[in-house]
Amino acid sequence: MQKVAKLIDTTLCIGCKACEVACQQWNDQEFTMGVFNNTYQTMPSLAHNFWNLIQFNELEINGAQSWLMAKYQCMHCADAGCIKACPAPGAIVQNANGIVDFNQDNCIGCGYCITGCPFDVPRLSPTTKKVYKCSLCSDRVAVGLEPSCIKACPTSCLSFGTRDALHHNASKRAEELRADGHAQAGVYDGPGVGGTNVIYVLKHADRPQDYGLPKDPHIPWTVSLWKGPVKWLGNAVFFGGLLTALVHYIKVGPKEAHRDE
Amino acid sequence: MTNGWTDVANADVILVMGGNPAENHPVGFRFVMEARRKRKAKLIVVDPRFNRTAAVADSYTPMRAGTDIAFLGGIIHYAIENKLYHDEYVRLHTNAAFLIKDGFDFAEGHFSGWDDTKKNYDRSSWQYELDAQGHAKVDATLENPRCVFQLMKRHYARYTPEAVANICGCTAEEYKKAAALICASGRPDRSGTVLYALGWTQHSHAVQLIHTAAMMQLLLGNIGRPGGGVNAQRGHSNIQGSTDMGSWNNLPGYLKIPRANHQTLDDYLKANTPKALRPNSMNYWGNTPKFMTSLLKTYYGKHATKENGYGYGNIPKPGETENYGWGFFFDKMQRGGIEGFITFGMNPVAGGPNSPKMLDALSKLKWMVVVENFETETASFWNAKKLGDKYYPTYKDPSEIQTEAFLLPAACFAEKDGAFVNSSRWLQWKRAAAPPPGDAKPDQEIMARIFLRVRELYEKEGGKAVQPLRDMSWDYANPFNPSLEEVAREVNGRDLTTGKQVNGFGELKDDGSTICGCWIYAGSWTENGNMMARRGQEDPTGLGLFPNWSWSWPANRRILYNRAAEDAEGKGWDPTRTPIKWDGTRWTGDVPDYKGDAKPTDYGAFIMLPEGVAKLYAADLLEGPFPEHYEPVESPVQNPFHKNVSSNPMAPVFTGPNDRLGAPDKYPYVALTYRLTEHFHYWTKHVASGAELQSNFFVEVPEELAKEKGIKGGDMVKVSSARGHVEGPALVTKRIRPLKVEGKTIYQVGIPIHWGFIGRTRGPLVNNLTPSAYDPNSGTPEYKGFLVNLEKA
Amino acid sequence: MNKPRIERFTFPERMTHWLTAISFVYAGLSGTALWSRKMWWTASVLGGGETIRAWHPIGGVVFALLLALMFRRWATQMKIDADDRRWLAVSHKYAIHDEAGVPESGRFNAGQKMLFWVQSVSAIVLFASGIVLWFPELMPRGLRLIAILTHPLAAVASLGGIVVHVYMTTLVVPGALNAMLRGWVTPGWAASHHAKWFRAVQRK
Repeated sequence: MQKVAKLIDTTLCIGCKACEVACQQWNDQEFTMGVFNNTYQTMPSLAHNFWNLIQFNELEINGAQSWLMAKYQCMHCADAGCIKACPAPGAIVQNANGIVDFNQDNCIGCGYCITGCPFDVPRLSPTTKKVYKCSLCSDRVAVGLEPSCIKACPTSCLSFGTRDALHHNASKRAEELRADGHAQAGVYDGPGVGGTNVIYVLKHADRPQDYGLPKDPHIPWTVSLWKGPVKWLGNAVFFGGLLTALVHYIKVGPKEAHRDE
Repeated sequence: MTNGWTDVANADVILVMGGNPAENHPVGFRFVMEARRKRKAKLIVVDPRFNRTAAVADSYTPMRAGTDIAFLGGIIHYAIENKLYHDEYVRLHTNAAFLIKDGFDFAEGHFSGWDDTKKNYDRSSWQYELDAQGHAKVDATLENPRCVFQLMKRHYARYTPEAVANICGCTAEEYKKAAALICASGRPDRSGTVLYALGWTQHSHAVQLIHTAAMMQLLLGNIGRPGGGVNAQRGHSNIQGSTDMGSWNNLPGYLKIPRANHQTLDDYLKANTPKALRPNSMNYWGNTPKFMTSLLKTYYGKHATKENGYGYGNIPKPGETENYGWGFFFDKMQRGGIEGFITFGMNPVAGGPNSPKMLDALSKLKWMVVVENFETETASFWNAKKLGDKYYPTYKDPSEIQTEAFLLPAACFAEKDGAFVNSSRWLQWKRAAAPPPGDAKPDQEIMARIFLRVRELYEKEGGKAVQPLRDMSWDYANPFNPSLEEVAREVNGRDLTTGKQVNGFGELKDDGSTICGCWIYAGSWTENGNMMARRGQEDPTGLGLFPNWSWSWPANRRILYNRAAEDAEGKGWDPTRTPIKWDGTRWTGDVPDYKGDAKPTDYGAFIMLPEGVAKLYAADLLEGPFPEHYEPVESPVQNPFHKNVSSNPMAPVFTGPNDRLGAPDKYPYVALTYRLTEHFHYWTKHVASGAELQSNFFVEVPEELAKEKGIKGGDMVKVSSARGHVEGPALVTKRIRPLKVEGKTIYQVGIPIHWGFIGRTRGPLVNNLTPSAYDPNSGTPEYKGFLVNLEKA
Repeated sequence: MNKPRIERFTFPERMTHWLTAISFVYAGLSGTALWSRKMWWTASVLGGGETIRAWHPIGGVVFALLLALMFRRWATQMKIDADDRRWLAVSHKYAIHDEAGVPESGRFNAGQKMLFWVQSVSAIVLFASGIVLWFPELMPRGLRLIAILTHPLAAVASLGGIVVHVYMTTLVVPGALNAMLRGWVTPGWAASHHAKWFRAVQRK
């Protein structure tokens, strides 16, 4: 099956938040009061009931005033840290089309996915004690519709399609930008996590942090270590211990009391 | 818009000034993005704030609010000085060659004819030099010192980059860079568009400011061209439609309202039907009698006869100079001169300038009817003392207010059918998406029921309005709730002899045999059906005109003045972007803004104007034929050009108890108000999804000013003006740069509107701060550029 | 039946031990479900994922508190002395019952003391990291990243110790389980396994 993807061309983003409204409405989210943080952002970060946030970053780049706006949501990684960290079978699934989807029925609310995610995306609901995030509108995609954020985008900053096609478009657009004199323009798609199904075109691809994106995203090494070597160490200790005991008992046997008064 | 949203994609240069389309017109903004991608168009933003549009622009130049005329006047100077204007276009399509009467002059801030006691102009010295036939004299060489071109050159000689920078607050270098980018559209093979919105209309010199933009675009040869024009981005979904359908001083289709000095239809037509000023002028407004008679026949039906001037006598007539613009109307109300007030979808307490004045004025009414989707600040103005938190401590107690207030629930836009007229002048028919909730009724039903009831009362009790109300034609299938289809067909007009819908305003007659509710909409609902409901996506010209998508007034023309896109022989200035083509017998392409089968040399390109050409020089505006830089009514500096005539001498002055003006010693900072993309005016604060995206009121404070005052992001600040104050957290930002004006550092403070004392998310009414200052021509309030003080709360 | 008995563990000691053991088993079993998706069946046995998510941390806190009690009771007796060090050096001989040259033990031999310290240290780590993992929404990411690794690491250490402990006390040293269950040992058992302690008891 073809992998689907979302392309975010940040050079076309005007921070209108239409994607935020579409996301809230499609996902039947309740009204949330925004939180002021000295920016135009709706709130400082994502929330369990707010899965799609435009980040506004005001800064100077090479002496010129800049105001970078970039959509922030689940990246749908090929090698997803949330899945790696999740203990509950079926709570996080990766569909054949690449969508990483949470199934709250199976979620136990441990929050390991929050720690496992290199993009800091999943959020725990204080009321339901379950974790939530963008599903890339898997319910819409399943019936051949594009995700709601893409439907709402007025500037074509967002597009939806197969990963291969969008990757091609992204590279072409970055090339176009470089030809227009933006030497640092490039594609951001998280090679460190096996590639993401959300692809960004950045005018300043050399500084993704300015867009609120991690510079070199990868699954945290502590999570990898736990889910790899530490797991094997544990197995070795437990089953090795049992085996040793068995061998010991059969070969050496019990230690009888040898003194009697 | 002279052109339209889809046409913006044809531009090479896009000047965004007095608007913030990325913020307020995000859907239309896609065509700006398309022009940038497909044509490598340069997007130039000039604004007091580095805004959402600036964030994606190629060039940003900061400026002080209210100095746009200086900025654009400087472009006129720059284009002439550096010979960057489109010379052939200017000679052919403008009144550059027209000679002005001897005696016209400009000195010390006043044009000739100023009467200092009357505070008004005698405009006789501004007129054209006429020949024996009543035609204007011209000098084709443009060398006569009394020709428009030479007068213009002289008038703007003062607007050097240095002088402009000193007024606007940017540096002369920044200014020259922006000017060069803008003037790059002066080449015949390039076109440039201007996108503006309320940032231009909300000044005490707004109409002149837009005139400056038109002059600039004419000089650069950009009017009538694909990717050109002067394009107003309308602030509401149907504000274009509401303007087209009339206002207090216009009847539908921009026919002037009858005044008391024109008691008969003949008087009216004589005064309002222009005469051609050049031999080749088509002078289409010469057809005014046809439009006016058809309109009167629509209003009064069988009661409109030739003998009674088609019912002309029924129309109320204000005095010759009487003004019922917003400012005057509410001033009159505050003085107790108005008894009752019906407001449909308007929230003057929140949206009007000087909210304390609005509150006081409403309390003087005997009755008020608010027709709205939600309970608004206006509907509950009488409770402002309690609801308004700390902002109206001295306001009257509800027990002291005798106004009887009614709130009628109205259907919202999605619960009604009908047409929206967008910025592109497209009449787009829509269907109701859901029935109105509860007792809410569509506007036309509310209006019809009020009308019928009032008529009944007059019939029973008598009074001045018996005749006009009785004569009013009201032949709807359901008189209590006329269907909008019926109304739309009536607005389009029909031939009473054949009973057929007219195909266009060309079929209208002045003998009472046709009706038409708005002549510019003739053709929107013909015998072929509802043209506004069309959704054809064909684009035969490849210029994004989409002639089969909805219907565009006038005559389904997509680009106004499109004859000006061609030279004298009818060849396009840019052969790749020619909206209409002359094939030897007729014009093809867009609906020509010209006679369809007239030779290119037959008429001037601007068929509506008596001149036949566009007006660089316009004697019809109140404050002078050339725009001049005037400071806002409240300004931190005296006008550097003429200190004694600092602000617009024609701007109305009000002297009521709330009409205080502030001086820079007490109120040193320039403030401007604006909307945010997340919101729609004061309306979305009642809607969860709109309110949540930007729920908190804030004040944008320049970083340097914040440092001076010890304010950090999120600290509460108090902003006060001579009218009132607001409080909210500071958004400390680099995006509003301090400016150098007359050697002084000027700080600007940005204050978004939306909040009020009713709604899901609440906050202060920003119009507590704004002054009772208005443009004299349009009556639009001055929301951009007034004085405030700011301190830590 | 009428053999003389020596009190090995007091009633409070035994209670503390067994309650600690129960809480350990609960935390351990529910923990294995969180540890690996292959062990998810333990969650099912214990009432489902949400139940163990809610109760595992509580079980852990109970375990830590009980262990703290044990610690207070035994910490002084668990000091590693010179004999213990020698014992540890020749523990491989102890393992094959070649007792020659293995120093005599007090109330607890060096192996038991090691178990005590391993459990104490891992309990501290488990407790601290467990609190972090309990409330991920309140904890800074850096802490969570440390906790998510140290919690299973400490659990492995703890589990390793317990495997040895259970094997030793149930199969290798007959009478040891009884000592913890019923509280007494025979003098011969005491003399054989904890000679120094036996003599000390005798002196009393």
